[in-house]
Amino acid sequence: MGTARQRSDGELVQGTLDMLVLKTLSRGPMHGYGIAQSIQQVSAEVLRVEEGSLYPALHRLELDGMVESEWGQSANNRRAKYYRLTALGRKKMQAQAGNWKRLAEAIARVMETA
Amino acid sequence: MKRWVRKLRMWRRGRQLDRDLEEEFQFHLDSRAAETGDSANAPISFGNATALKEACRELRMFPRLDVLWQDLRYALRTLARTPGFTLVAVVALALGIGADTAIFTIVKGAFSWDLGLDHVDRMILVSLADSSRRQDFGMSYPDFLDLRSQATSLEGLAAYRMASVNLSDNRSLPERYYCVTMSANGFLVSEQKPVLGRGFVADDERPGAPPVAVLSYHVWQDRYGKDPGMAGKTIRVNDVPHTVVGVMPPGKRFPEETDLWTPLIPDAPALQRANRDLMLFGRLPRGGSTAAAGAQLATISTRLAKQFSDSNKGLTAEVQPIGQITGAYNMRSLFAALWVAVGFVLLIACADVAIMLLARGAGRAREISIRVAIGAGRGRILRQLLVESVILSIAGGFLGWLVALGGLRWFDAGTGVVPKPVWLQLSLDGMAFLYLAAVSIGAGIFFGLAPALRLSKVDVYAAIKDGGQGVAGRRRALSLSNGLVALQMALCIVLLSGAGLMIRSTVNLYAAPLGVDPAGVLTMRINLPEAKYPLPESQVHFHRTLQARLEALAGVESAGIVSNLPLGSWIPVSYELEGAVSDPGHPRQTGALVASPTYFRVMGVNPRRGRLLLETDAAGAPVVLVNETFAHQLWPDGGGLGKRLRLAGNPSSLWLTVVGIVPDILQNFRNPLEHDPLIYLPFSEDPRREMFIVARTRVPPATLARPFRRAVRNLDENLPVYEVRTLEGRLAESRLTVNLLGAMFAVFAAVALVLATVGLYAVTAHSVGQRTQEIGVRMAVGGTRRDILRLVFAQGIRPLLLGVALGLPAAFGVTRVLRAVLVGVSPGDPVSFTLVVVVLAAAGVLGCAVPARRATRVDPIVALRYE
Repeated sequence: MGTARQRSDGELVQGTLDMLVLKTLSRGPMHGYGIAQSIQQVSAEVLRVEEGSLYPALHRLELDGMVESEWGQSANNRRAKYYRLTALGRKKMQAQAGNWKRLAEAIARVMETA
Repeated sequence: MKRWVRKLRMWRRGRQLDRDLEEEFQFHLDSRAAETGDSANAPISFGNATALKEACRELRMFPRLDVLWQDLRYALRTLARTPGFTLVAVVALALGIGADTAIFTIVKGAFSWDLGLDHVDRMILVSLADSSRRQDFGMSYPDFLDLRSQATSLEGLAAYRMASVNLSDNRSLPERYYCVTMSANGFLVSEQKPVLGRGFVADDERPGAPPVAVLSYHVWQDRYGKDPGMAGKTIRVNDVPHTVVGVMPPGKRFPEETDLWTPLIPDAPALQRANRDLMLFGRLPRGGSTAAAGAQLATISTRLAKQFSDSNKGLTAEVQPIGQITGAYNMRSLFAALWVAVGFVLLIACADVAIMLLARGAGRAREISIRVAIGAGRGRILRQLLVESVILSIAGGFLGWLVALGGLRWFDAGTGVVPKPVWLQLSLDGMAFLYLAAVSIGAGIFFGLAPALRLSKVDVYAAIKDGGQGVAGRRRALSLSNGLVALQMALCIVLLSGAGLMIRSTVNLYAAPLGVDPAGVLTMRINLPEAKYPLPESQVHFHRTLQARLEALAGVESAGIVSNLPLGSWIPVSYELEGAVSDPGHPRQTGALVASPTYFRVMGVNPRRGRLLLETDAAGAPVVLVNETFAHQLWPDGGGLGKRLRLAGNPSSLWLTVVGIVPDILQNFRNPLEHDPLIYLPFSEDPRREMFIVARTRVPPATLARPFRRAVRNLDENLPVYEVRTLEGRLAESRLTVNLLGAMFAVFAAVALVLATVGLYAVTAHSVGQRTQEIGVRMAVGGTRRDILRLVFAQGIRPLLLGVALGLPAAFGVTRVLRAVLVGVSPGDPVSFTLVVVVLAAAGVLGCAVPARRATRVDPIVALRYE
């Protein structure tokens, strides 16, 4: 039943994308396009978020109760769907961020001493 | 859990959410276009929007249920587009599933008859067998007591014997019932507790105890209207008053189809070890094993054999689980054979549908390719196709329920036996429904899987370009179809040969000369109770009077009595021949019938030599008749009249003079073609209590049933008449097994043949359709009609030949199961098998002929433009 999901170099591992989305949303409600743009800018164009991954990830997070969505006005006065972090999402994001930090530091230490 | 709740909430707003998704994506695209200023390329970077939407949708919808619903609607639309295919497939499946369910119901009855007992797995039967194990012996009362007191491996052991008795009282007409006379612990051992009153207590079997009886529920209900005060009332069993002490609950009739029970009170003859007329049943303790009990009882019986060598020599006790003995056990292998046969029919039907699905799939390759191209995965396509086939099979199941109902009604009408044994009381119950549902869905997946796997593997590029499956795919599908047809043909051969053998058996059975003229003969049964007719003279007198009264009835030509009706076996006797050496250890054995002089007139039998019995024989020297087989065995050169023989075992028995030789009458019910050597004893010489009354009538015999009953009642109002039937009806009943099996096999084989022909037709037609272009080319370059016909038939014949090659050896093996019921034909009968191949070949030609004709009519010009 799968839609064939193509893998490319810039693609993020699923769990990582979830974490980035949650982190981005922790700064305030945002629509899908905004999230993609934000991640791209903040990462200085290193991380490119594919729409093919972003929207399924958003909908999954919504189903899991990590984010909520509601329709609102965008900057250019169009109806857009805004996602907002829930309390549960915030907790999950903090846990993931902690994990990630430990992991990244660990990897960095290994890479430096080797 | 929360996720499910959210999903459910979303599912209700499905359409709204679909629109939201659309808008969300559009917003994304527009935002990107606005930013890059490149509206044309935005959608491309977005990727496959449809696939993405599908992915998001799948997340929030119960993907399985939802897609299933979609698949369902899609499948129904697709099936409705090809009504012809759908109809043939559903009907084929309905026949297969319906027949299967009907047979399941019958088999279930035969296999699961539970005797109304709890823990039936712990119940055992104990019998005695001699060293050759050729014969089972009953138990004597002293043997029973010894076994019971010494068998520690059993929780309980009870003895019984069974007899049919006359039950009378002051309420209604006397009736004939089966009475089990059982040791007082019988109800305890079989765990049957009364609904009214009590069972037996030890005091009931004390010699001299007042006679008591326990009624079965249905006797209490039918005869006594569930009289709540039944316990304590008096009934007469064979004219001996008994006090009813209890009533058993519905369904509790162990150890036989018991109507009433009386306690077993040992009398003087019962205390002799040589008097073996008891059967034993016992209960194993919880967790006890049959083998252990068997070993212990064998040891005890061996000890008894040593101790009482004149009565018990060489006899060993054997233990068998009860489930293996009672009821329809002997028929089980036959029913199992039927079940297998009907399974074959279902398989053939499934193969038909699979072949048609494959053929149809060729035309759907393009549709499927397009679905794959726009993002459907292989799994999705596979599921879609399976849903289609399961819908077909469920529709077939619904129709099959009707087929099963009709089939069971037909079976019921065909058996027509009253009263019906418990296991033949058939109904389509919840379990049958579950079975049908499981078979339907299973069949749908079974026949759908291969075509679906094949079809879902399309080469998208080639398929869209060619509009077909591509040459390789086509060839693979065709060889799969050919394999299926070969399988159908092989199964068909097995069924046809079974049917052929059974039909030949039926023919043999009816063609065999019975030796009597059964038309226009009414029969009934009477058992003169010992209490009222203690002396032979009183029995002879009774029957003389009754005969005179019956013959006085309007419409009756003559009346007589006999101990065994045609096909109703005989009484085994041993005898000595005057002037011949006799070995007391191995006396001569033969079968005997006891008859009145008029019996032969009623049956339309004339003597071959000598004379028949005469009423005046009673006054003179005792006489006997022998049949031709007997005469031929003893006096092959034609003598016999005037020779004398004497029944053995009784020193006071008289020498009987052979006064006549009568033609053979079929009496053997196990082998209805075999003539056994028989002698006919005059009733006045050797009266029996239990006799059949036969009467030749000038009017349809069944119309005289009531006057006959009345005549008996006027003579003795406590004497029940039972089994009032026409002789033809009885004969039909004794031929029932062969008839019924024959008819069923014939029906299954016919259905299988039709279905297999449809399968062959479908494959050949499909192949002709696929090769239209090729045929056109051949014709264009000068191919003749004959060339084309050869081409088509070669395609059809190959699976047929393969099927025959596989099916014949299988049939030889399988038909062995039928050996027990075949009459006058061996399981490997060459005539039947030749016929089977001829019939199958004819069906094969028929299956190929229509497509072949179509092939020869191909217009080369049209054909070349075909694709």
